[in-house]
Amino acid sequence: MSAWSRPPLLFPVSHTTTEANRTGAWRFARPVFRPKTAPCAAACPAGIDIARVEMFAARGRLHEAWQTIARENPLPAVCGRVCFHPCEAACNRAQLDAPIAINALERYLGDAALAAGTPLASFDAPDLGRKVAIAGAGPAGLAAACFLARLGVSVEIFEAAAEPGGVLRWGIPAYRLPKAVLAREIERILALGVGLHCNRAVDQAFLAEAAGRFDAVIIGVGFSAPVRLHIPGEDRVADGLDFLRRVQTGQTEAPRGEVAVIGGGNTAIDVARTLLRLGARPVIVYRRRRRDMPAFIHEIAAAEAEGVRIETLLAPVGVAADAGGVRLTLQPMRPDQPGGDGRVRAVPAGQAPTVRHFAAVFSGIGAEVGAFWHRPADEAETLRLSHCALRLGQHPIAYVGDPVTPANSVADAIGSGKQAALALHTLFTEGPRAVARALQDCRVGPGPAVSLEIYQGAERAGRASRTVAFADINTDYFPVAARRHPSALPPGRAAATFDETLEALAPGEALAEAGRCFNCGVCNDCDNCRIFCPDQTVQAVRDGRRIDLDYCKGCGVCTVECPRAVLEMEEESA
Amino acid sequence: MRQVLEGSHAISEAARLARVQVVSGYPITPQTHIIEALSQHCADGTLAARFIPVESEHSAMSAVIGAAATGVRAFTATSSHGLALMHEMLHWAAAARLPIVMGEVNRALGPGWNIWMDQSDSLAQRDTGWIQLYCEDAQDALDTTLIGFRLAEAVNLPVMVIIDAFYISHTYEPVDVPEQAAVDRFLPPPNPRFRLDPADPKSLYPMVGPPAFMEMRRSLQDAMEVAEAALAQAAAAFKTEFGRSCPPIEADGCEDAEIVLVTTGSITSTARLVVEDLRARGERVGLCKLKLFRPFPAEGIRRVLGRAPRVAVIDRNVSFGVGGIFAQEIRSALCSLERRPPVFSYIVGLGGRDVPPETIAEIYRSTREAAAPDPESRWVGLNPELMGAAAR
Amino acid sequence: MSQALNTDRGLTYPGNVGCPGCGANIAVNHALRALGEKTILVIPACCYAIVSGPYPQTALKVPILHSAFACSAVTASGVRAGLDMQGDTETTVVAWAGDGGTFDIGLQSLSGAAERGDDIIFVCYDNEAYMNTGVQRSSSTPYGSRTTTTPGQGWKKTRKKNIMEIMAAHRVAYAATANIAYPDDFMRKFARAREARGATRFIHVFASCPTGWGVASGHAIKIARLATRTSVFPLYEIENGTDYTLNAGGDLPVGDYLTVQGRFKHLAPEDLALVQAEVDRDMALIQEKVAATQVRRAFFKSA
Repeated sequence: MSAWSRPPLLFPVSHTTTEANRTGAWRFARPVFRPKTAPCAAACPAGIDIARVEMFAARGRLHEAWQTIARENPLPAVCGRVCFHPCEAACNRAQLDAPIAINALERYLGDAALAAGTPLASFDAPDLGRKVAIAGAGPAGLAAACFLARLGVSVEIFEAAAEPGGVLRWGIPAYRLPKAVLAREIERILALGVGLHCNRAVDQAFLAEAAGRFDAVIIGVGFSAPVRLHIPGEDRVADGLDFLRRVQTGQTEAPRGEVAVIGGGNTAIDVARTLLRLGARPVIVYRRRRRDMPAFIHEIAAAEAEGVRIETLLAPVGVAADAGGVRLTLQPMRPDQPGGDGRVRAVPAGQAPTVRHFAAVFSGIGAEVGAFWHRPADEAETLRLSHCALRLGQHPIAYVGDPVTPANSVADAIGSGKQAALALHTLFTEGPRAVARALQDCRVGPGPAVSLEIYQGAERAGRASRTVAFADINTDYFPVAARRHPSALPPGRAAATFDETLEALAPGEALAEAGRCFNCGVCNDCDNCRIFCPDQTVQAVRDGRRIDLDYCKGCGVCTVECPRAVLEMEEESA
Repeated sequence: MRQVLEGSHAISEAARLARVQVVSGYPITPQTHIIEALSQHCADGTLAARFIPVESEHSAMSAVIGAAATGVRAFTATSSHGLALMHEMLHWAAAARLPIVMGEVNRALGPGWNIWMDQSDSLAQRDTGWIQLYCEDAQDALDTTLIGFRLAEAVNLPVMVIIDAFYISHTYEPVDVPEQAAVDRFLPPPNPRFRLDPADPKSLYPMVGPPAFMEMRRSLQDAMEVAEAALAQAAAAFKTEFGRSCPPIEADGCEDAEIVLVTTGSITSTARLVVEDLRARGERVGLCKLKLFRPFPAEGIRRVLGRAPRVAVIDRNVSFGVGGIFAQEIRSALCSLERRPPVFSYIVGLGGRDVPPETIAEIYRSTREAAAPDPESRWVGLNPELMGAAAR
Repeated sequence: MSQALNTDRGLTYPGNVGCPGCGANIAVNHALRALGEKTILVIPACCYAIVSGPYPQTALKVPILHSAFACSAVTASGVRAGLDMQGDTETTVVAWAGDGGTFDIGLQSLSGAAERGDDIIFVCYDNEAYMNTGVQRSSSTPYGSRTTTTPGQGWKKTRKKNIMEIMAAHRVAYAATANIAYPDDFMRKFARAREARGATRFIHVFASCPTGWGVASGHAIKIARLATRTSVFPLYEIENGTDYTLNAGGDLPVGDYLTVQGRFKHLAPEDLALVQAEVDRDMALIQEKVAATQVRRAFFKSA
């Protein structure tokens, strides 16, 4: 018997891993996380990061959702009620079923924060040692104050009226914006350390005096003077805005019987609906067609549902005294070619004017600046930005609000105040030549709105300016789902009180509605990229996702399956 | 304890005593009794094993491969077409280096259907990497099976324990069945060199490309090269425990023989009678029983047969176009010798045809009288009438 | 979808050698997330046998036993028996086969294991042809498909074998279809199969093959999702071979799925109509069985 020893066993068994195969070398394109701008955000005059707001809201992270709004807009509960929400018109989801109820969600979040007493984030900016005076505590002035305070600038607001809020307090009826909501959102701004002086009308003398005490002045006094009709007997026409203001201060009387309200914008609607609530029978008289009315469609519909009559293609040409009221002469009109502004003009239709008896006639055709110095002069040293104008020089003056914004909306006013605040901050810290560039760099997408978060270089600054198109969305992940609507008071009951007509979304509805959002261009941690990567190269890390390029083969599954166009493929350079 | 067992049950008893843990099988005559007995043991609880009644022999071998890969002792048995159907998995089991033991009952392959003794089935698997051990009778079958487990686990190669259809499988003989305690001493529980284990996850048998394949096949060859010594060692341990020897080659009176007969399987027993008779009549005849066919014990063959004036190899098989397979292997083992004994090749008993003492005596006579071996194997016992009918 | 942050790669190593966009890889990732580390995979000849790493590598953190082509089911049965005999009843044994190793050469062994009720999960990751050898037809290749053995005008004129019905006929304890594009459903089914120990479980996984199907690698999931949204590959479960539950289907026209793939590009509108009719009929049959299941359950409940 021969001795033997066991020979080594060499057979097919693994003793290492595939980690040795750097399959990344196969790749000719790489996936890149490139968050983009959502079209809603680009359309928002206040530059709110809406896609991220809804992302947080859908996950029940309401506090973060609200903070995301409030970073760009310190008046969420106000805007959630009165904003004309151009965001919804831009919403990509409209091409699938219906846009997200962004406005209703903003109100939901705004109310939740008010209920919780959540303060505005101050961002703990170091004190710059600069002081700015703001004329006017309307939305533009309040916004400017808020953003300046957050950037470490001392602010004092001077308001001619007894209460702050401007048009929000005096122009918008309580059934659209309860005054307690406004008051609490203003308080929250003041809590950032903003000084407020009411009953302090600002005049040119003040400006001269302020030049010594302040490093800059912001003028945001808004349109306070009514636009004139320029018709005979105009002095018998009541000023609608003044009427609304008086109702806010306690007036509860209105003419009995049929009252004419001249105009087709939101002021006319507000005046008519307020008259209705005080017992009048308002008739809106508008010179163009119904479809040309500048008022919000939903406001027009609400007014009619409540009982406001609307008569179109009638132009007022004269007012005269009449027993128990006035006689209003109305010229029938017909539509003509569009004018220079693209809107269809109305011209006399050839019929004879009619004369109608009304208990009273109110104008609701808007307002304009109250004094020439409320708007910037055409001077070489004036820097004109999309929503504000900045007179540089030794005593800088920023003009904000109605006279300098493309649209006279609350959101535009807020965007205006923010733009001025960021401009002044750049002026203080980097000098006049840096201002235009700095404002350019913090635009939301292609602009014009600017973002505090981008200005601060926070997460949103990494967002590509390209806006996400509907075609970029992977709609496989979005089954058709009905848009949620807040419930409204029945029109009959609504017309009898100044109670708010629209209710807030129910909590479950709000979350579900937020869940409909595509979150265009914003990662919501859906994890598709990680879950579907055939090669497990996507890793979730503390602040997002990381792709291991040593192994990524560049197949593109992650990019195709990214529902919201955050990922994109980029060709490898040879 | 001495019992009267049929050859099939000698193998199943050995598997039981070896405490196999997984058995799989598929019925085929004449193997069926082996797996029947084992399934009965599993059912009765006389064997703590899982019996997997599969739907083909291919699956039977696959099942024991899966089981053996977890490190348990696994067993199956088959025959003929069943073995042929297993062919792919025989390669797999061997290159997988799994110490599987299989009972194999030699049977012819069709057509025509033939369930009787013929070695063509097992010899057709000679290149699969299995150790092949041929048995002479039931006792040999039991002993070889027990040794087979020890050998398989020593060298990580599968072992085929081969018995003749009916002549052994269905023949009752007295068999000394060892005590369990003694078997446990001889065959401790398996101690695998590798196994599937979630705590130490490995990939067993992945693709191997040209850079490593040859070395792995060389490793298998290395194991084959020590298998004969390992068998000898196992047989020695067996003898110590049980008192019976079980050598790879058994030589009886070969040293001074004029003619040495080489046999395998049950023919050996018949040849023993013939040799005894011839010696009584003064003939110098030796008998060489070959147990180990793979690895082929070439050195032992040269030692036993190298000085014989004439060697007659009795093959119960044929490699068509060549002849008797054992004869060919023996010729090639001897060809390195300076003086090579002439090897006479005889083909007998295919498809279960009886090989009586007269046939072996005729082979002896023919070897003694011939001037030199025929260039081809001589077929013994063909029916001239049938051959003539074919010619017509 | 899971919101849990996960920085590790689960039970796989990177660097596998699958094609970019490999659906089988996605299937393995989903499956192992649900099965966990106490799992042994038995893999016959198939793409994944190679993808999982050539010697001396492995791409998985669970043991793999590579088997010959025809016998993954019974090899898994053997592994199960071996583990049981050593007292390990916790580890899940999974046969992980392609469609060839399931529908064709592996069917006998699968049928045997299913009939015996062996305690294994048999997974067919179906990419509808012999992809590993270069896209030859299998009995899982659908009507209309071109492969290298059904080329040109010889595109496949017979329908795909219905493997789920074959398994149902075996009365396996649990059979389910799963699609890599539906990870939650996929993982739920694997977790359920893992828990249903002691019996044969079968999961038919739809695993797209961009390389073989003629779609962009990035569309691996998109195309797989379309298969379900067109009801070409509905998601359903069968308990004990008789009780059907439908999880997902869809009413998109089959053309949405077929016409974006190279392998079906040649199909004429009348061919699409034929496929649509067949898909509608198959779906109606499933729905009938779902309805029958509900009726039966209600009856036994009330009895």
